[in-house]
Amino acid sequence: MKKYLLAPLLVVLLTYVQAQEKFTLSGYVRDASNGETLIGANVVVEELSGGNITNVYGYYSLTLNPGSYTIKYRFVGYETITKKVDLTENLRIDIDLPTEDQELEAVVISAEAEDRNVTDVEMSTAELDIRTIQKIPAFLGEVDVVKSLQLLPGVSTVGEGASGFNVRGGGVGQNLVLLDESPVYNSSHLLGFFSVFNPDAVKDVKLYKGGIPPRYGGRISSILDVRMKEGNNKEYDFTGGIGTIFSRFAVEGPIVKEKASFIVAGRRSYADILARPFTDVFDEGAQLYFYDLTIKTNYNISKKDRLFLSGYLGRDVFKFDSRQGFSWGNNTATLRWNHLFTEKIFSNFTLFFSDYDYELAFGENDRDKFEWTSRIQTYDFKPEFTYFINPQNELTFGGEAVLYRFKPADATGVSNGESTDISLAEKKAFETSLYIGNEQKITNSLSAMYGLRFSHFDYLGKGTAYTFNDTIPGQRRTVLSSKEYGSLESIAAYNNFEPRISVKYQLGPTNSVKASYNRTVQYIHLISNTVASNPLDVWTPSTNNLKPQIGDQWALGYFQNFKDNDYESSVEVYYRETQNQLDYIDGAELFINELLEGDVLPGKGRAYGAEFYLKRNKGKLNGWISYTVARTELQIDGVNNNEWYPTRFDQAHNLKVAAFYDINKRMSVSGNFTYLTGTPTNFPDQRYEIQGYTIPLNSSDSRNGVRIPDYHRLDFSFTLLGKEYNKRGKKRKFEDSYVFTVYNVYGRRNPFSIYFSQGSDRQEYGTPASTQATQLSIIGSVFPSITYNFKF
Amino acid sequence: MKRILFSLTIAGFLFGCEDNINVELAEADPILAVDAWLEHRTGEQQIILQYTRPYFDKSSAEGIQGASVRVLEIEGTSPRDTLVFLETEEGVYSWSPEIASDSFGTIGNLYVLEIVIDGKQFLSQSRLNAVPTIDSITFRQEDGAQNFIPDFFAAEFWSRDLPGEGDTYWIKTWKNGEYLNQPSEINIAYDAGFSQGAPVDNILFIQPIRDLINPFDEDPGDDFQFLPPYEKGDSVYVQIQSINYDVWFFLTNVIDETNRPGGFGELFATPLSNVHSNIVPQDENEKAVGIFSVSALHGMGRKFTDDAIRVVQP
Repeated sequence: MKKYLLAPLLVVLLTYVQAQEKFTLSGYVRDASNGETLIGANVVVEELSGGNITNVYGYYSLTLNPGSYTIKYRFVGYETITKKVDLTENLRIDIDLPTEDQELEAVVISAEAEDRNVTDVEMSTAELDIRTIQKIPAFLGEVDVVKSLQLLPGVSTVGEGASGFNVRGGGVGQNLVLLDESPVYNSSHLLGFFSVFNPDAVKDVKLYKGGIPPRYGGRISSILDVRMKEGNNKEYDFTGGIGTIFSRFAVEGPIVKEKASFIVAGRRSYADILARPFTDVFDEGAQLYFYDLTIKTNYNISKKDRLFLSGYLGRDVFKFDSRQGFSWGNNTATLRWNHLFTEKIFSNFTLFFSDYDYELAFGENDRDKFEWTSRIQTYDFKPEFTYFINPQNELTFGGEAVLYRFKPADATGVSNGESTDISLAEKKAFETSLYIGNEQKITNSLSAMYGLRFSHFDYLGKGTAYTFNDTIPGQRRTVLSSKEYGSLESIAAYNNFEPRISVKYQLGPTNSVKASYNRTVQYIHLISNTVASNPLDVWTPSTNNLKPQIGDQWALGYFQNFKDNDYESSVEVYYRETQNQLDYIDGAELFINELLEGDVLPGKGRAYGAEFYLKRNKGKLNGWISYTVARTELQIDGVNNNEWYPTRFDQAHNLKVAAFYDINKRMSVSGNFTYLTGTPTNFPDQRYEIQGYTIPLNSSDSRNGVRIPDYHRLDFSFTLLGKEYNKRGKKRKFEDSYVFTVYNVYGRRNPFSIYFSQGSDRQEYGTPASTQATQLSIIGSVFPSITYNFKF
Repeated sequence: MKRILFSLTIAGFLFGCEDNINVELAEADPILAVDAWLEHRTGEQQIILQYTRPYFDKSSAEGIQGASVRVLEIEGTSPRDTLVFLETEEGVYSWSPEIASDSFGTIGNLYVLEIVIDGKQFLSQSRLNAVPTIDSITFRQEDGAQNFIPDFFAAEFWSRDLPGEGDTYWIKTWKNGEYLNQPSEINIAYDAGFSQGAPVDNILFIQPIRDLINPFDEDPGDDFQFLPPYEKGDSVYVQIQSINYDVWFFLTNVIDETNRPGGFGELFATPLSNVHSNIVPQDENEKAVGIFSVSALHGMGRKFTDDAIRVVQP
């Protein structure tokens, strides 16, 4: 293991010796219209046909021999700026790129098409810029980050109404969802119909499905890195929209011009308000809504220091009356400090707090009630450093320290005035990690990104550690012994090394092959045994019984662009092995259960597949086709007769087509089509009666051996932009648009699940029930909607 | 109460839709299903042995003939008595006490069921646990909900869980003599509450359990209207049965598998799985499903009259 650590250090030392007489060109690349820094902009040195890409804070740094260079700054959708530079000392050049549509018609668009998908060493990533996301037809016309990602290869969901998303056969709880560096434990509103990210406040979305860089850790399947806008630092901007289900409004603007800015964006649904005329339940205090509020501010202290403070508050509320119902929400607060130690060493320090909770309450008065709150809180400190050694090497290193507090149940039951506390004890855990990685251009055609992450996890007291008896199929494991631990005493500890490597070999100017391997370790588990993931799923730490999940993924890809990058294509294959995956005994009790670990069965998993992607970037008609053929399985003792079985999110075929067509400057249409293999499930084969109840029996004891019918759906949308010029021929500051969307165009009743029952009639004694199978569709018809968006 | 009504209201908003469909199911061999529930009371006791049959088979189950069925009573560690059940109808095995005024069983004793079919032995056991008494039954007024149900009266039974954690019960209800046997009406308790993981010991049964003796039947004349559970003059009879932990776990599974919420509730449902059984084949190549349970009972009836109304202080 030591050689992993030594290699990058050696690189640093060697280059340090050489770097004496070199100079550094560095700075930020920003959007000229609003001052937002641009993530992933290309800074190309023409003379070296190489360069650098701006990091997530928009910073670039190039250390070169003294001389004259032509530097091109380019970013998709923006005009390219070319600068002649005489590098005789360290230079700081901050560049403001104008967007293409801001240009006067006389200017020839010089932006070169992007070929980063071929030339970058990164693979298995999915990126969507917010302007593409806004064009995709969305359910009820509401632009959605997570739903849009599901149109890309390797990303899927169990169905409408399912929270979260699945990546390369991983579970919903195996994705690390980061909003400005802070984890979001439930990325869904309204049971998965919408994601928690307000598109008005989102700047950049990037999903890592494989080849995960060493700076990320903590989940084994994927990393979704969402970056919020900083806020326009030049002028005030108001954006918003009025939709069928909710409305949005965002304000951004400078606090101190060019130095400090802010953005505040909010959304609220109003199904409850619209339904009021049809029922009186809302008059009695019933509530049915969600909201979210995204706030961010930043301050450029000096040329070397910048502070960011961001927060997210969101909540879903379903209440039957003023006292009863359930609600859940995420709250996060992040403080970040960017500091340049030198032009070559960029650092970021992140301090955050994240809190996810849900509440359930029943009982119409204080004498008879049940109240339950469950939460997970995270406190995190994360220093990160990037050392831009030279155009060939970019070294990143840093660490992370996380304190988790799991409060599975703070609960009380009151019966006729007598109260019982049924709370479960808080569980604490401390996770620390250190990492180092280097991105190296070895030759003109060979590049590599390699590194190592070390992680340590400590499950801390105070608490009771149980040991359980062996698994007997169909039975709960019983407690063998238990041991008490004192406050902050270590109950179980784990250490893991997580090697990461990606390699790219450029075959020609338009094609390359890439390969990657990564190991990821996950110390906290999302416990769920329902058909689809839902907001009441419980997070729990690794303990003496629950071992950390470990994932090893290998991926190989071929990338090719055609017609001057007009078309891009890729094929990737992957294989992933996972250890310590969880399933549950039949009839497991996952909610308030002190002995939860006795209902959980550990085992191993494997997932493999091939992803095909073809995209057209330019032209009036553009879009992409994505096809994934995949398999994801588990083998767990005590389930499916100890044989491999598909997971609930196993989808053999996953086809997505997204197409956009610009009719003219004001009108555009877009459509998308989805085809998914049906979700695996269990059907009964036999029946029997006990005490008059008809009980279904799956006599083979198989798990997920049958499938519900396939899913397919077509959506369509039409966007009409408001007039650009007013009657007197002047350009309007006020921009607006109407988006007409039809979701599920041919009204297919796509199945969510099939369930079996004896019918709802009261059975006469001795007469056999007339059993039936029922198919449930969450959305069973065509869903048209109109959204009005504005900006001024 | 409003929970049910509200769920119906929002189900409408969430636009779920359901279709009864034809599904081709796998073929399987029938196996033994045991329905053996003995009660601590006078009179005849029955044990029913049948074969399982295809899920969509709407005919009556086939009884198993010619089996030997015995129940051994064990007091402490020593056998006390053997009860031989004799076949009275196809698949129905019965036993009656020799003296008509005698009851089956003694509280605290263990009972072992032995079934022998074609030389193959199946065993199970169950302990006869004590049961709490029902002190009273009352009716309280509830607000209705526009378009769903008018204002109505809901019945409640009052009983206190026995001291000590881990008591399990099944509460059965009859309205005007009709047994409320829908899957949604299965009413079980772990101590005074719902679950093992969160025991609420030795208090009055919690309100959702007290309330589950109310039938909510659709108005046959109007699809979305519900009939009030009880009207003046109606009678209610409530019976608590003590059950063993594995029987409670079995009934918990039965609720999961038979009481399908439908609509948006299915988002929170678990995929189909087999319910627990406590019948153990002694030959490992044999399979069996079903339950052997012995219970003590306490019941109380009440007619809905003005003096049965309990006024709830807000």
